[in-house]
Amino acid sequence: MSINVAQRRLLQEYRALTNNPPEGITAGPISEDDLLHWECLIQGPEGTPFEGGVFPAELKFPNDYPHMPPTMKFLGDIFHPNVYPSGLVCISILHPPGDDPNHYETASERWSPIQSVEKILLSVMSMLAEPNDESPANVEAAKMWREKRSEYEARVKASVRASLGL
Amino acid sequence: MDVFGDEAFNVPDSTDWLGTPLACLMPVEQAFRCHVCKDFYDSPMLTSCNHTFCSLCIRRCLSVDSKCPLCRATDQESKLRGNWALREAVEAFKNSRKVLLEFARAPPTVQAAPPDQSGPSSPSKRKATEMEGPKEEDPERKRPRRSTRSTRARAAELTAAILQEEQDTTPSADPDYVDQPPDDGLVACPICLTRMKEQQVDRHLDTSCPGSPQAASKRRPIPPQAPPPPPPPQQQQQQQQPTLPSFNTRLTSQTTTNQRPPERLPALAYSMLRDTALRKKLSELGLSTHGSRQLLEKRHKEWITLWNANCDSSRPKKRSELLRNLDEWERTVGNPGTVAAGGGGGQQGLGLMARAQATGAQIKDKEFDGKAWATRYGGSFGDLIKQARKGIKRQTLDGNGEKADTKGEDGKEDITSAELPTLQAREGDSSAAPTPMDIVPPSSPSRPGQMDDAGTEHNGQAPAKDAIAEDTAMREQVIPGTPDKEQWETSHQPPIPGDA
Repeated sequence: MSINVAQRRLLQEYRALTNNPPEGITAGPISEDDLLHWECLIQGPEGTPFEGGVFPAELKFPNDYPHMPPTMKFLGDIFHPNVYPSGLVCISILHPPGDDPNHYETASERWSPIQSVEKILLSVMSMLAEPNDESPANVEAAKMWREKRSEYEARVKASVRASLGL
Repeated sequence: MDVFGDEAFNVPDSTDWLGTPLACLMPVEQAFRCHVCKDFYDSPMLTSCNHTFCSLCIRRCLSVDSKCPLCRATDQESKLRGNWALREAVEAFKNSRKVLLEFARAPPTVQAAPPDQSGPSSPSKRKATEMEGPKEEDPERKRPRRSTRSTRARAAELTAAILQEEQDTTPSADPDYVDQPPDDGLVACPICLTRMKEQQVDRHLDTSCPGSPQAASKRRPIPPQAPPPPPPPQQQQQQQQPTLPSFNTRLTSQTTTNQRPPERLPALAYSMLRDTALRKKLSELGLSTHGSRQLLEKRHKEWITLWNANCDSSRPKKRSELLRNLDEWERTVGNPGTVAAGGGGGQQGLGLMARAQATGAQIKDKEFDGKAWATRYGGSFGDLIKQARKGIKRQTLDGNGEKADTKGEDGKEDITSAELPTLQAREGDSSAAPTPMDIVPPSSPSRPGQMDDAGTEHNGQAPAKDAIAEDTAMREQVIPGTPDKEQWETSHQPPIPGDA
């Protein structure tokens, strides 16, 4: 099988993630036929309403990865200011370089080929803990998070419990 | 989901050191790896901001963003400079990695070090040899370093000189060695006269003494667990030559790079170029001129990136190999018809045609590496020939009667000489006037008897084979509609143009 740059680099990352797994994160290609399609599990960070939850998500990599970022989509329901109702994650590290439609991100926050799956997932974990309400993907969640924090937290906790089947 | 069982998927990584006693080598290996591709640096280049990346990686990054991926400082491809010291370091590390890792992973065999190793019996004498050793070695060691920058001719001269020196000095060293034993702080075995440390003699007599005096030249093999004191420099070199990739290999790899300085290609200001001019540029470079304007630009850009990165390499690839890389790029990254997540089932006809033409252009190229092509696709060619033969056999048998199936399976391999001309004749027919029947790939369901064979064969082979089979089938389909029939026919020569 001939492996191109993107696939080789993803294999490399998968290897590193298996040999040295970061805490609270599991990720890998769904099948070895398609290395550009990953599934990952993220643990809800401690001390947040997401604590105790495990959130599955999928990562889709472009053919010119790592020059262009992947897209990330939560597979379950997740109520968060920076996650679209469809599950699509909207954080600056996943935005391609040179393209800033929102005019609020500094270039240093955006995608660069030196980023990796591990860094993306760590960023997403910290995003769960600290939402960025400047450019909300889910307006309802952002508004609730800003104005009625306790209600937001209760709703998130309820959805976490529901996702765990409790 | 353990894909690492497969050899092709088994990529070495810096985390391989974790869990071994040499885990401290992980950051060392990380330092030898590019931040972009995470692989070992290939032709490392320094940016203006003093960061280092593979030549191909940084060129691609700059063509996308014009910024250093690490610090986002603006930079230009033309300002990149080679980091050759790092290149050597990476090569050296890569070469030693396997052995080191095996060593690190091996269960710790605690070989109780004999006490004599740590405490020398006659410290003064030993010290004297140690002091002497490096001093004598110095001129020998410096020489190769100086010669790395010399031309091949000078290098050859030098090697000859060193060899001469070795021949000259070795005999004169021998009498010293034998006649003045106190000099090396060792004693001779009373039986075989091999020199060793005093404490080792007993053990040597019990285990490894050959029983008779050994010739001076055979004196070398001393029991392995007892490293001898630094021998005279010329002997040390002789000893090391077979095991270590010594200065000689380093020298040749350096000189070959000096042989042919490849010229870098300049970037084009695409906005200043009309379509026709761009097409002309592409055809001058021997590249396909098909596709949309956007694809043309991307193709040209990618070629320049590949080409210029290859210029930085210590072992430049052949042009044909670069064309293959471009072809691969076109199929994956470059082709807008394929979507991100590998769901490229619906490739566009235009892209396929361009690909067929590109392959044709590649085969016609003067520097085309026919041998590599033949080895690369040897399996598929073999399969196609086999299938064609089976097809012929079947058709001949079909003509004879209905009992084709059983007979066909039995005698599929032995094609008699009487049948071969038929095969050739038929091949001639089909290439002259392809009919729909001929275009159908031999493994198509219309001939059920062959399905099993073809299927199993394909499973056993690498997926790349399917690609070429598909490629061939696709090229067949291009024939009737291709506007440029002449080009098609030349490109559809027998598989190995080098032999034609």
